[in-house]
This record gives sequence, structure tokens and C-alpha cells, in this order.
Amino acid sequence: MQVIVQDLLTSYSRVGKGKQVLILHGWGDSSASWKAVAKKLAGQHEVILVDLPGFGETQMPSIAWDLTDYANFIQAFLRKIGAKPYAIVGHSNGGAIAIRGVGQGILQAEKLVLLASAGVRGTSSQKGLYLISKVGKVMASPLPKRMQARLRRGLYHKAGLDLLVAEHMQETFKRIVRDDVRADAAYISAPTLLVYGEHDEETPVALGRQLHDAIEGSVFQEIPAVGHFLYRDAEKQVVQLAKEFLSA
Amino acid sequence: MKTVAVIFGGRSAEHDVSIVTALSSIIKPLELTKQYRVIAVYITKDGRWFTGEKLKDIHLYQSSKLEEYLAQTKSTGVVFDHGLKLLVPTRVGRKEVAIDIVFPAMHGTYGEDGALMGLLDMAGVAYVGCGVAASAIAMDKVLAKQLAVANGIPVSMFLSFQKADITDDTVGVVTQITAKLKYPIFVKPAHLGSSIGITRVQNDTELTNALEVAAYYDNLIIVEEAVQNLIEVTLPIMGLANNPQPALLEKPLTAAEDFFDFDTKYLQGGKKGGGKKGGTTGSQGYSQIPAKLPKDIYAQAGHVGLAVYTAFGCSGTARVDMLIDSKAGKVYFNEMNPLPGSLYAHNWAQAGVSKVALVEKLIEYALVRYAERQKLATTFDTNFLKQF
Repeated sequence: MQVIVQDLLTSYSRVGKGKQVLILHGWGDSSASWKAVAKKLAGQHEVILVDLPGFGETQMPSIAWDLTDYANFIQAFLRKIGAKPYAIVGHSNGGAIAIRGVGQGILQAEKLVLLASAGVRGTSSQKGLYLISKVGKVMASPLPKRMQARLRRGLYHKAGLDLLVAEHMQETFKRIVRDDVRADAAYISAPTLLVYGEHDEETPVALGRQLHDAIEGSVFQEIPAVGHFLYRDAEKQVVQLAKEFLSA
Repeated sequence: MKTVAVIFGGRSAEHDVSIVTALSSIIKPLELTKQYRVIAVYITKDGRWFTGEKLKDIHLYQSSKLEEYLAQTKSTGVVFDHGLKLLVPTRVGRKEVAIDIVFPAMHGTYGEDGALMGLLDMAGVAYVGCGVAASAIAMDKVLAKQLAVANGIPVSMFLSFQKADITDDTVGVVTQITAKLKYPIFVKPAHLGSSIGITRVQNDTELTNALEVAAYYDNLIIVEEAVQNLIEVTLPIMGLANNPQPALLEKPLTAAEDFFDFDTKYLQGGKKGGGKKGGTTGSQGYSQIPAKLPKDIYAQAGHVGLAVYTAFGCSGTARVDMLIDSKAGKVYFNEMNPLPGSLYAHNWAQAGVSKVALVEKLIEYALVRYAERQKLATTFDTNFLKQF
């Protein structure tokens, strides 16, 4: 289904019946990747899936956004469709949006599930920013277009796949990787489950532990032998953990 | 040897679908006949025209080579001079190539909506498929339903609104709709194809949001009551308006509560839910051909389809989509598609018409219609100017 939120054509879907659960996907991802998980949760919940602006089938914001802009967008979206989710599940950048939203009172949730959540910014993103500035220089260089594209992609690889999967969102990416949510996490009082993959390189376990320390009373789970896309690579375990936590 | 220009691509959301229709269902079969010189005329998404042998290769569009090719190629011009001539680029300039027949393979805006047909009529060239009026009416869901009603063809209950009605007083529009129609309701932009901007709604909040979405896409919005106990069927038809020939009634194998969205229809190749057993893969995905329906309903759908074809004044080919209330045993006209994706060749093949025979027949109809049109007087000498 589509709906207009903050002048952006927004794509979303609802599946199942029960207490509402909102799923926020990660950077470069879309709600389409979450259909299998949503189906499994739909037995107990009404799952709301939304494509965040700039991803999937939702239009891109006209200016660069930060996490607060995304949280405000989600607030407006929920009002528009008349939904009041009981829980928010956020993966990677979707987790960072959830922390910003709930921590600052923009979003309300009785429970929070953060899967490989991003939001703790460190030296790796600074390296990314340096490389992005290099990308800009390549674009402005007098090299032939084909060579520019090859160089640009090489730099993107070094900056991290996150930018590579959404080149069109470069300016928003720059703002997001500077946006730290540790201060917001400290304001979260809702019961929170944090799940990280042992081999996650994008959002390593150590980063998750920092959020775990910041969110009082939160529960931390590590899934062995999986990486960043744990909802896909360890779907069964993630669904099981989420189900138990949401019904407790 | 007659020269046929196959025009495809264009400034439409269905640009890519048009490429597949042109290459697989028209150009290839036409070349197999060895009776025509086939020119591929590709219109870019920004409206530039190109010709060239390389444009007949699907790989060009599947790779990033297309932009490179277009950057190195001069665009093609069009001249109206006792028919249609293309100005095809050569190494030293451009040469004129006279076109005997145009085979439009365009879907959606600026192609299937009568715009291209108007240009071809102005040029005075024979062309395959429906004319300006049938194409333009088919692309306006409100006009199409009104025409059906005027011809006694059943349609589901509907209302229409201008975009301004919705932006000025959404609450009032919702009240008007709910006073006349029962949920579930479909909200659609009146002029867009491929399920773009269409929403099925169950309550006032969803209706309000859906009206806003439809108004985002179009200035005219149609709101229809959903047909209950729904079976969707479609019927490809060909021939001149006075002698239409139906193919087989086809039933897309989707869940009743579902309907084809753009993604299912084209991007996933129609394979929603992985398809079901006993279906045929066609241009629109898995279908049952012929649709397994009680004899009387099958016949009723056939009558409705042919009545629509005649009422719209279709020519060449068209596909009529219908909605059946299986409990009430009633068939409703839904939409008419003047240029079905891939010409619905998969259906015609089951009806005994091969891809090659299909394009040959369509060219034959185009030439008959053109000859009849040539006989009509459109100008005559008067002494009007002398008296002025």
C-alpha cells in the first residue's frame, strides 16, 4: 500500500492480527527483505512494514536527513495510518532510528528489539567520511566517465558497502554516520532486547555491548557464526528470540 | 517487400515492458516471415527516437551498454510526406526511409493512450491496433466505464472525483463515497496503467489516504466498489470492429483478495507466491487458459468482451479485463487494454494462432482499415475562399 507522509510517497504493508509490531529496516535494505520474518510474527502480531525514505519504493527526501528526521517521519507515518505499535523492531540503521525516536520521546513503544543496531559512531565512520570526500574529488576530476565510475566504486568499497548500496543517498549517509545515539539510549526505559551476530563487521558485538550498557535493564544476546544480516542468516533464532521477548 | 516500423519504449512507466513486447512478440516473428523489412524504432524515456539493428537485441537493454550506444548514435527524425518517412542517420548525414506500416508496441502514456496513433493518423500511414478514440477512452477509466454503461454493458458501482475535489474537501468526498459504495473499495488514478497508485481499502482512514495517493498521480480519480466472490478474467480479441475474434478466456492465478500490482505483474514476471500448479506462464504470469468456469458464465464473459470491443470501436487487437461475481453469476467489464503486453501471444498460441500468424493477421487488419480510411472523403474543393 502507499500513503503520502511528509509529501513523500511511502510504501508500506500490514500483515497479521494482534498487538502491533513495527519493523524498521536497515540502510540500503527495504521492507521486502523482511517479508519472511513478518509472516512468522504475524501469527501473534499485526506487523507493519515500511520502506524508509530513499529505500525500497518510498521516495527519497529532497534534502539530507539525520536520524531525528527519520524518527519524525515514522511518527507522522504511524499517525497517518492510525497505528500505535506496541513494539518496534529495528535492524542496523533502523535500530538507530528506533533508539533516537524512543529515546527522545518522538516514538512510543512498550518494547524494543534492536537487531545489529547501528548508532554508536567511532573511528570507522570517520574513515568512511574521508573516503566519501575522495569520491567527490573523483567526480570532479577530468577523467573519462567510465574511469570515474570505476574509481568511485573502488572508493565506495573501501568506505563500506553501506554507501555502495545507496549511492543516491550519499548526503544523508554523511549525516547519519555522524549521528551518535548513545545519549538517546540512556533515556530508554522500555524493555529492550539487543541481538548481535558474532561475525558482524558493520556493527560488531562490542558496539552492541555499548548500547546494552547504555539502555538500563536491556537484555543482550549474541548469535554465534552469523554476521550483520542475522535476521536473514539466522532467521529461525531471531524470530524465536523476538517472539519470546515480545510475548513475555 | 513492405517496410514495417516497430515503435517501442517511450515516455511511460511501462517502457521496459514495451521493449519485451516489441522484441519478442513483434520484431522476431515479423522477421521470421521474411516478407517484411523490419525497422526497430526505440523511443527513450526522455522521448528521443533511435533506429538501428542493434536495438533488436535484448542484451543491449539488459546491460549498461544502452546509454553508451545511444551516446554514440544520432537520433532519428520523422517526416510527414505522403505518409511517414524516417530520417535514419548514416555516416554522412541522414537518409529518408519510407514506412509502409507502423506496428506500435508502446504501453501506457504517449503510446497506448492514442497519442502515437494521432501522430500516425496525421502522417497518413497504416498502423496496427486501435485508433485514437478507442485508445484514448481505454486509458481513461472513467470514460471507459461511462461508455460501457451507455452501451448497456455491466460495470461495478463507481464514482469519480477531480483532484481538486479531494484536496479541497477530503472529508466531504469520503462521506459521498461511503454513502453510495460499500467497503471494500478500490481507489484508482483514472489514467494510469499497471496498477500504479491503486489501493484496495477497508475503512475511512485507508480511503482518505488512498484518495491522497491517487490524487498524487492523477487529476481524475475513480472509486469503485469491489466485486464480491471475485474471479478475474481477461479476453484477448482481434479483428476489425465489425468482426472481432476472441482468443481464450484467461484466468490469472492470483488469490481472490489480491490483485496484480506493478511489481507482481512485471518485475517478478507475474510469479506472485511462486505460481500455482496447472497454470501457464504468459506475459502476465501464471494463468489458467481456458478459464475453468461454468459454461454460461464463460459464454457471458465472451459476450461482454466482444460487446466492449465493438462499443469502443477497437481495431487490430485489444484485451478486455472482466470481473466475475461467482456467486451471483454476473460478469462486469473492468478495463480495456488496447495493446496487451506481448500481444498476449501465449493465449493466442493456445487458441491456435502462432506468434507469426498473429503479427501477420494484425498487419492484414491494419492494411484493410487503412484502405477503408483512404476511401473516406476528408477534403473536398469548394469556392469558399474565392467568396471571402
